[in-house]
Amino acid sequence: MRLPRFKYLGPETLDQALDLLNTHKDDAKILAGGTDLLVRMKKGLLKPKALISLKALNELSYIKKQDGYIKIGARTPLADIIASDLIQKEARALFQACEKIGAVTIQHYRGTIGGNILQDNRCHHYNQSDFHRSGRQACHKDGGKICYAREEADRCNSTCQSDGATALMALGAGIILAQKGGKRTVDLTDFYTTDGIMPHAMESHELLKEIIIPVQGGQSAYHRLAYRSAIDYPIVCAGVFLKPSQKNEIADARIVVGAMSRSPLFLAQASSSLKGKKLNDTYAFKKAADVSMDSAATFAVHNVGATLEYRCAMVSQMVIQALEQAAAAIKA
Amino acid sequence: MTTNISFLLNGDKISYEIKDHWTLLHLLREEMGLIGTKEGCGNGECGACTVIVDKLAVNSCLYLAIDVDGASIETIEGLASTNGTLHPLQQSFVDKGGIQCGFCSPGMIMSSKALLDENPRANHEQIKHALAGNICRCTGYVQILESVEAARDKGGQNE
Repeated sequence: MRLPRFKYLGPETLDQALDLLNTHKDDAKILAGGTDLLVRMKKGLLKPKALISLKALNELSYIKKQDGYIKIGARTPLADIIASDLIQKEARALFQACEKIGAVTIQHYRGTIGGNILQDNRCHHYNQSDFHRSGRQACHKDGGKICYAREEADRCNSTCQSDGATALMALGAGIILAQKGGKRTVDLTDFYTTDGIMPHAMESHELLKEIIIPVQGGQSAYHRLAYRSAIDYPIVCAGVFLKPSQKNEIADARIVVGAMSRSPLFLAQASSSLKGKKLNDTYAFKKAADVSMDSAATFAVHNVGATLEYRCAMVSQMVIQALEQAAAAIKA
Repeated sequence: MTTNISFLLNGDKISYEIKDHWTLLHLLREEMGLIGTKEGCGNGECGACTVIVDKLAVNSCLYLAIDVDGASIETIEGLASTNGTLHPLQQSFVDKGGIQCGFCSPGMIMSSKALLDENPRANHEQIKHALAGNICRCTGYVQILESVEAARDKGGQNE
């Protein structure tokens, strides 16, 4: 498969990159590792006139702990996150998620954490070649008015299959978006719009600069289901965070289910049901997992491979296993 | 839009005028005629196009040619010595039946080489981990793993 033609721009500093982005806006795309972007371009899903490469911007590649936050540069390779002691100990869900992205030797050196959480939504009716899509009417995401995943749907039902986004949302992370002459911080739960066509609340002149994870003194875990142990996207996944109190009770809990909807789903009802429960209360875990399944199932459509029934049934398994892992990590 | 890049290809210094939208795979196969590196899916899923860039195994179908400026690249063509003696990995793929239809072999061998160069004593699990991004549609993974282990046990020397 050939890439369509584009102009390659290689800024040397962040300011230069923001200048270029401000000039080109919608005509340009940011190129980090390219493992999502270039595939979409090959399939004709995106046709940017220019790519702004972050290759020279080593200033965007770091992992550090500062002012009560773990701060990760957007262009940090997945391999660096997996190798980081800090992430393994204090943001374990993110470590577990990054470990599962793509394949070890190959995509981890190219793929970046910023690229992973900014990957566009997927749907097996949409992520197809130009030739495949030319044989039928365009779907919502392709600029048309049809949804092949759900009959008579008035909107796009594509799915956010980012491992990193689910884990980071469970960790309560935020992101810093830079633009020429300014920046803003957005919580991840606000960043994902639940709109299938435009899944991210981000302007075309903005660039993801940093991911910030608050250090809250709890434990997190991520668990996913996919056909193969490597390469594949998750068909359902869960990220959880548990914060213990002095009395070994759960003071705060966050349950996020991914790959089931247009955005990762932060499940408030299931999360709050765990507050005040003991860390070894398996009945409470089971109940929270069942509530998660009921909440998440209302959003799901059959568009990422496995049958809808199977994916919905597996939500509770993913949640319960992630909860048990996080609870075990607190006890250890 | 063309750019002049220079890089090391299997130890030889190369200068080449490339177009911005070429992938490394396109440069190797279509322009330089090095057809040992295969194009499978073109999407970074199958690993048939694996080459080594600066000691790391990468998918050349998702690697822009312009990004290899100044890098050192190894492809399957660079493994055998000039007198035709196969690299220990290639020889053990032949001996142990890892070669099969042969389409995934260049990718499998390059992924294995990157691993064994970094960790000459990689165990079974580490080899499986390193080859997780390479798909074999003959599905003879057992022979492939045995081939890599045999090459490891020979310590990089042919018998």
